[in-house]
Amino acid sequence: MPSRLFNRLQVFRSKPWSYQVKFLGFKTLQLANLLGALHLLSYVGTISPMSGPSMLPTLANEGEVVIENRWSHRWNPDSLRRGDLVTLRSPLDRTRIICKRVIGLPGDVICVDPTGQKAPSTEHVVVPRGHMWIIGDNAAYSRDSRDYGPVPMGLIQGRLFARIWPIREFTIFRNPTTYLDY
Amino acid sequence: MSQVKRVLAMLYWLPAAVLLTDLYTVKQVSGRSMQPTLNPDSSLLWRDVGLFDRVSIYTQRYNRGDIVALKSPYDAKRELVKRIIAVEGDIVRTLAPNPEAEVRVPKNHIWVEGDAFHSQDSNTFGPVPLGLVDSRLVFLVWPIWRLGFPGLLRPNTHPRVSPTPTQ
Repeated sequence: MPSRLFNRLQVFRSKPWSYQVKFLGFKTLQLANLLGALHLLSYVGTISPMSGPSMLPTLANEGEVVIENRWSHRWNPDSLRRGDLVTLRSPLDRTRIICKRVIGLPGDVICVDPTGQKAPSTEHVVVPRGHMWIIGDNAAYSRDSRDYGPVPMGLIQGRLFARIWPIREFTIFRNPTTYLDY
Repeated sequence: MSQVKRVLAMLYWLPAAVLLTDLYTVKQVSGRSMQPTLNPDSSLLWRDVGLFDRVSIYTQRYNRGDIVALKSPYDAKRELVKRIIAVEGDIVRTLAPNPEAEVRVPKNHIWVEGDAFHSQDSNTFGPVPLGLVDSRLVFLVWPIWRLGFPGLLRPNTHPRVSPTPTQ
């Protein structure tokens, strides 16, 4: 095998330089095309490792891999529901992607922190147009809307679809919200 | 047969094209909030088309005075084109609809305003997180007589902004 490769290299070197440039240029384009194809896939969905304590017990602190649905929030942003798990760009740092649960949609009245730790327990906020209220499942170890307020929906990257790793923990994330009639 | 081949070839190279449009993209500017810099013709018989650069947002090469395209905080489906007035740490004296007289732009946020009076901008919705910023306008490509750099050479300062001393 290595000698075969060597032969091909010898043949390549014996060609005129114009052919060499053309050949290398074409190969570079093909490589860019391959990268582009991978990138196109990320419009539909991605496989991403998750880490951090803020979503315990739904997601473990480390070592879990999930499938992210990147398509439906582009295709139909209105399909977002309370209780969905979303990944979004942190409003505190655009290079960080965070994962939280959607609690409130535009127009909802939210109690900022019922425990009264991060804000007085009587403080309520109306979620503005185009915004949402997000909270980590592990309230004690999460920086979320209780700290920085409602966040624009434009920051959403995707929605969690399923956990695929570890295999034994395979789950399709279902929306757990139940609405009370009154 | 050769036509089928041509279509197949185009499909084959589609990913590379998409990759390219993710780095640099062409957008049409609608609306009058950036007059007189963009869309100076009020009747909107023609609309400016610009080349927008996403790389410089990724590498954080933007500054006060740049024109950027960003997702509207009020509606993720809409895109706005505004000018960066202040970056993180700056103190801005706000205009009419804003309830506060002075605002310090928080970390990882920018303050954007339109060049025209009637503009929905940071005076309405406050500082914008950088995650909403999509791209930076670098060049006007249409209409042909406006080809060139559209009022980008603005000074780095603004009368209502006191910049952070570190910059």
